[in-house]
Amino acid sequence: MHHEPSLFARLARRISLVLGIGAALLVSAAWYYAETAADKAYDRLLVGAALQMAESLSVENGALSARLPTSAFELLGLAERDRIFYRVIDTNGKTVTGYDDLQSPVSPDGARDGLSISEGTYKGEAVRIVRATRVLADPSVTGHAYVIVAQTNEARSALTRELTLRATILVLIMSLLAFVGAMLAIRYALQPVERLGAAVRRRDPHDLTPVSVDVPRELDPFVSSINHFMGRLNERVDLLQRFIADAAHQIRTPLTALSAQIDLLGHDKLDKAGRQHFERVQQRTGELARLTNQLLSHAMVIHRADSIQLEPISLVDVARRAYRAAIPITVDPDIVISFEAPDDRPFVLGDAVSLREAIVNVIDNALRHGTDQRLEVRVRSDAIDAYVEVEDDGPGIPPEGWEKATQRFATSKSHEGSSGLGFAIAQEVVNAHGGTLGFKARDEKSFTVVLTLPLYKGSAT
Amino acid sequence: MPMKTMRILLVEDTHDVGEAIAKRFEAIGHAVDWETNGRDAAEIIDFTEYALIILDVMLPGMDGFEILKRLRKSGNSVPVLVLTARSEIEDRVGALDLGADDYLVKPFDFRELEARARVLIRRRTGGEATNLIKCGDIAIDRGARSVHVGKREVQLKRRELTLLEVMAARPGRVFSKDELLDQIFGFDEAANANAIELYVGRLRKKLEGAQARIVTVRGLGYQLVAGDAP
Repeated sequence: MHHEPSLFARLARRISLVLGIGAALLVSAAWYYAETAADKAYDRLLVGAALQMAESLSVENGALSARLPTSAFELLGLAERDRIFYRVIDTNGKTVTGYDDLQSPVSPDGARDGLSISEGTYKGEAVRIVRATRVLADPSVTGHAYVIVAQTNEARSALTRELTLRATILVLIMSLLAFVGAMLAIRYALQPVERLGAAVRRRDPHDLTPVSVDVPRELDPFVSSINHFMGRLNERVDLLQRFIADAAHQIRTPLTALSAQIDLLGHDKLDKAGRQHFERVQQRTGELARLTNQLLSHAMVIHRADSIQLEPISLVDVARRAYRAAIPITVDPDIVISFEAPDDRPFVLGDAVSLREAIVNVIDNALRHGTDQRLEVRVRSDAIDAYVEVEDDGPGIPPEGWEKATQRFATSKSHEGSSGLGFAIAQEVVNAHGGTLGFKARDEKSFTVVLTLPLYKGSAT
Repeated sequence: MPMKTMRILLVEDTHDVGEAIAKRFEAIGHAVDWETNGRDAAEIIDFTEYALIILDVMLPGMDGFEILKRLRKSGNSVPVLVLTARSEIEDRVGALDLGADDYLVKPFDFRELEARARVLIRRRTGGEATNLIKCGDIAIDRGARSVHVGKREVQLKRRELTLLEVMAARPGRVFSKDELLDQIFGFDEAANANAIELYVGRLRKKLEGAQARIVTVRGLGYQLVAGDAP
C-alpha cells in the first residue's frame, strides 16, 4: 500500500519551509540595514574630514595653498585598517596636493551644493569618494576649489558583517524556538488522532458499537463515518446471525419430523442389510440434528457476547447444570461419569447461559469423540483463575492438532465426520469472558480440555 | 419396579412428531392422549389427571408456556416435559423457571425422550424421597438421585443407584444375589444372577477411589463396607 506521508511530517515540512523563508528574508533585511547604518556612520566621518580639509584651504600670495589639518586625518584614522586617498584641486582644475588621478565619478556640475558622496574604485579597490567644494572669492583666485577624499571600505564592511552576523544569530535562535514550539504544538494537536486510532485498534473485533472517544471538532466527521460504517456492519452481522438462527430453526421442525419417521419405521421389521442402512440413517440424522443445534448455539453465543451484561456467577452451579444437561440418560452404562467441585465456590464474571453452552459442548464432544470408559468434569480454582476441566480416557487430540481443533468444522482423523462447532463455541465463549480454551494430555489414558476463566474478585452475592 | 399403565398427555402440532411419540409410549404400555391445539389441551388438563405432560412450545391456539403457566398457577404439580424448537436458549431456561420439570430441544433423540419421561413418571410415583443415606465417604441423596464419593459427584444409572441404595441402607449386611435381584428388578422382569454381577461390577468401577466398597462374600453374596478395613 502506498503511504501518504504522515500528518506530522507534512506539517513539519511546511512549517520548516515558512520558517526558512522568513529567516532568509529577515537576514537579508538585517544585512541591508546593517550596510546602511555602517555607510551612514562612516560617511559622516568621511564628510567631516573632507569639510575640514576644504575649510583649511586658503589663498596665499595669489595661489591656493592647502595646509591640511591633522584633526581631519585623526578623524579618518578611526577606521584603522582603511587607507585614505585625497586630492586638492584648485580653481583651474590643477592638483594642488594628493593623488593626481583621483577622480569623483560625479561631475562637479551635478552637485552644486558643494558636497557629493559616491561609490567608486581607485587603484583597483572599492572606495567611498567624497568631494567637498570650496568657493573662493579672493581677488586673485576666484572660483571653485575641490577636495576629494577617498577611503577604502574595510571598516564599514566589517561593521556590516558584524551587525548582520548578530542579527542572523538572533533570527536563527528565534527560528529554532519557533520550530521546536511548532513541533510540540503539532504533536499535541495530533494526539486525539492517535488516541482515536488506539481506541479503534484496541477494540474487540466483535464490538460493533459506536466509537465513543472525545475528539476535537475537526475529527468529528471522521468518527461519525467510522460509526456510520460500524452501524452498517452491525446491521449486516445482525441480519446474518438472524438468518442463521432462522434457517436453523426452519430446519429443526422437518428434522424432528424426519427422526420421528425413522423412529416409526422401527428396525425390527428389517432384514440384516436393511437394519444396517437403517442404523446409518439414524446415526446421520443424529449428526444432522447435533450440527443444527450447534449452529444455533454458535449464533446465540456470538449474539450474547455482544449484548449481554456479564454478572458474577458461581462457576460450580453453571458447570453442574451443564453437566446434567450434557449427559443423556441413555448414555452407555459402562462409562464412569463424575463431577467434582471444590468446597469454596469460585465466582466468575460471566453470562451463565453462554458459559453453560460452552461447557455442554465440551462435555458433548468428549462423550462423542473421546470417552472410552471414563469421563470426569472438574471445577477448581487458584488465586487468579477458575477452571472447568473435562477429562476423558479416549485417544484425545495429538498436540499438533490442538490449534486446528478449535477451528470450525475441523475434522478429527479418528472419526468420520467432523467434531463440528463444539470447541469453536466453547472458545468463542471463553474468549468473550477473557479466558482461554486449552488442552492437556497427561498420559496415554487421559486427555483434558481446560476452560480457564479469570476469577471474580469482588464480593459474591 | 414394574411399569404400570400411565396416562400421558401429548401436546404437539407437528403430525409426524406427535405420531412417533404417541406410538413409542403406547408401545411400552402407556395410554397417550394427543392434542394438537394449545387451547384444547389447556381445557383437557383442567379435568383430567395425567402422570406426565409432554408439551410443545409452538402451538396454535395457546403456546406451551402459557399452558404451563396456567397449569402451575392452578396448583397442578403434574410432571411436564417441554419440547422446544425455538432458537433462543433462554426458552429452555425460561421453561424451567415456569415450572417445567425437564426440556428437550428439537430435534431430539426419541430414546432420550422415552428415558427422560420414564424418570419423570417414576419420580412422581416413587414419592418424594429426600433422605440422605451415608456409608463411609459415599453419600446418596435419594431426592436429587445423586451420589457423592467424597467431593466427587458420580453419575449412576437407575438400577445401579437402586442397588447401592439397598446395600447402603444396611451397611455390613450380606445380601444374596436372589435378594438383590428381587429388590432391583421386581418380580415380573426376567433377569438372572449374572445381571447382578454385571451391576455390581459397574458399581465398583464407578465407586473407585471411595473408602467404602462392595465386598464379595464367597458363596453368600455382597456387602457394602464403610471403612478402610481390609
